[in-house]
Amino acid sequence: MSYIIEVKNIKKVYNMGKVKVEALKTIDVKIEKGEFVAIMGPSGSGKSTLMHILGCLDSPTKGEYFLDGLEISKLKKRKLATIRNIKIGFIFQTFNLLPHLSIHKNVELPLMYSGMNRTQRKKQATKILTSVGLIDRKKHKPSELSGGQRQRVAIARAIVNNPSIILADEPTGNLDTSSGNDILSIFAELHKAGNTIVMVTHDPAVAKRADRTIHIIDGEISNGNIS
Amino acid sequence: MAISLKESIVVGFSDFWSRKIRSIVTIIGIVLGTMSVIVVLSLMNGVNQKTIQWMLERGGLNKISIYQNWEYQSKTGQRKYFTYRELKLIHSLIPEVKYFNPTIRRGFRISYGKKEYWTSVRGVYPDFSPIEEWGVQKGRFVSNFDINQSSDIIVIGTKVAEELFGNLDPLGKMVTVHNRRLQVAGVMEHRFMKNSVSIGNDNNNALSYLNRRAFIPLSTMINKITNQDKINGLALKTSTPEEAILLKDKLEGILSNLRRREPVFIIESAQEEAEKAKKNTKIFQIIFFIISLISLLVGGIVIINIMLATIQERTREIGIRLAVGARRRDIFIQFLVQTVIITLLGGIIGVTIGVSILGFISNFLKMELIASFGTIILSVAVSAGIGLIFGIIPAIHASNLNPVEALRHE
Ligand SMILES: Nc1ncnc2c1ncn2[C@@H]1O[C@H](COP(=O)(O)OP(=O)(O)OP(=O)(O)O)[C@@H](O)[C@H]1O
Ligand SMILES: [Mg+2]
Repeated sequence: MSYIIEVKNIKKVYNMGKVKVEALKTIDVKIEKGEFVAIMGPSGSGKSTLMHILGCLDSPTKGEYFLDGLEISKLKKRKLATIRNIKIGFIFQTFNLLPHLSIHKNVELPLMYSGMNRTQRKKQATKILTSVGLIDRKKHKPSELSGGQRQRVAIARAIVNNPSIILADEPTGNLDTSSGNDILSIFAELHKAGNTIVMVTHDPAVAKRADRTIHIIDGEISNGNIS
Repeated sequence: MAISLKESIVVGFSDFWSRKIRSIVTIIGIVLGTMSVIVVLSLMNGVNQKTIQWMLERGGLNKISIYQNWEYQSKTGQRKYFTYRELKLIHSLIPEVKYFNPTIRRGFRISYGKKEYWTSVRGVYPDFSPIEEWGVQKGRFVSNFDINQSSDIIVIGTKVAEELFGNLDPLGKMVTVHNRRLQVAGVMEHRFMKNSVSIGNDNNNALSYLNRRAFIPLSTMINKITNQDKINGLALKTSTPEEAILLKDKLEGILSNLRRREPVFIIESAQEEAEKAKKNTKIFQIIFFIISLISLLVGGIVIINIMLATIQERTREIGIRLAVGARRRDIFIQFLVQTVIITLLGGIIGVTIGVSILGFISNFLKMELIASFGTIILSVAVSAGIGLIFGIIPAIHASNLNPVEALRHE
């Protein structure tokens, strides 16, 4: 029972005035420590909604969410910020780097919010940027990099704090096959090093790289939670 | 586990620099507001100090003056002047007074040869000189001997000397006043107030009227010129301003007894007048300060708008910061610090420009402007305060954004 993620009966309803959108209807997910899980499903099925809840960016309307044994749904917003900072590394389809900061500063950002001092965080960011092969670009702004390079910076930022889980919402969605493969091999390495990874993808070939795949259709898990 | 205030300030500063043009445009409003605050405060400061200086030049704060109250009509025919005997009585009742000078003032024509000059001639005691802190530049002033003997002498102001004698030495010359021949015994020091509101020449100086006066012994005035025992005024001086205020109360009692409690005289203490003048300028100071504050408030409202627009534009950035672990407080401080930097910088620039154009405004208005350390600090503090107050609303707005919605923002 060493689940790092345990989601029980989670529901997410968006209240759009008179219309209510049920983005997630009673979802149960269990993910073990060190697993590499892919999430697949048609557009609008609720994959991103689930990822946001897993990433503590949003709270479920109903249900329980345990992360590392901690009941997240009961936590205050302030505490959620700390969880996002130290336990979660989130990677977005659109990279979401800060355009005004150098990539080095972008990677330092989570460390700054965790209160690490300047010298230490410089050292740590340098180490991580080296591991994704971008240390020679550290002074560049994100707009001066290719899409694949930007996503590598985003991965560096996600893992710089040694998070408990890495969440990636269509990380290769905006990339060509070759840079997508670069990203996937980084994930493979991270997985081998013992990291837990949850990744959303539309591409079955990409999903094959994972240990197992969860299918979501219309806000529900289609074929059970453990493959 | 928190971003330090120092770190927030660093982030706020780098925000500021990465958006130079917008920051500078925002600053201008605050610069103008602060400039007007510092100029107004300095103006008031100048007026205040001018008033005090004028008081000091006119004999200091230990002085008490008694005038006739022209606005008051006595029903029982109380006299608006003193007799010589009454003055002797008053003097004996206030032995604590340091200097005592009764005055008769009359307008006369003074003539020397073919030249003549109309002016106010005053019959005085020797104490006039220490009371007004004004002496002669040559010859001598009225002496006790002159009072005892009703000497036929006159001491003239520099303007009188210039008009009657030109380049000649006035000392020892005989002039005629009201058919009496008087010998010029002295010429008074030239009076001129520094930094005064004077347009063009000397004649408009705040103290130049004094140079047009002439002085003779009080006894000479009574016995040989007017032949009337009517003394219009009295000036006194004590050792300290506090004594002057006490003496003023005592004199009010004495005069009220002498004139059946009718206010035919006005008693003024320089100390009280100075306080009154200060109080008057204080009111203006407050009014002008409020006007400048309003212009700063307008600057503040501009800031709110610009900051809200900035935050709207940076919603996605806020979402990213929240996603990697920024707390609401971190976002709040980041934006508040940015606003305070803008207003503080605006304040400092405004004060610098304001102080450096004081001389120009001073020339233009013909008034003295004095920027004290206190005014400078107050102006900068006010502008930073505006930043704090008006920075709060946009900062709260930024820190309340929902992470998912902020990230979805285009
Ligand atoms: N903020 C919101 N307000 C209202 N409805 C929303 C909101 N976010 C998502 N939805 C709705 O919830 C449903 C699930 O959306 P979600 O973004 O999770 O889909 P997805 O599986 O990630 O799709 P895609 O593959 O296109 O990214 C959709 O019907 C969407 O319109
Ligand atoms: Mg999605």
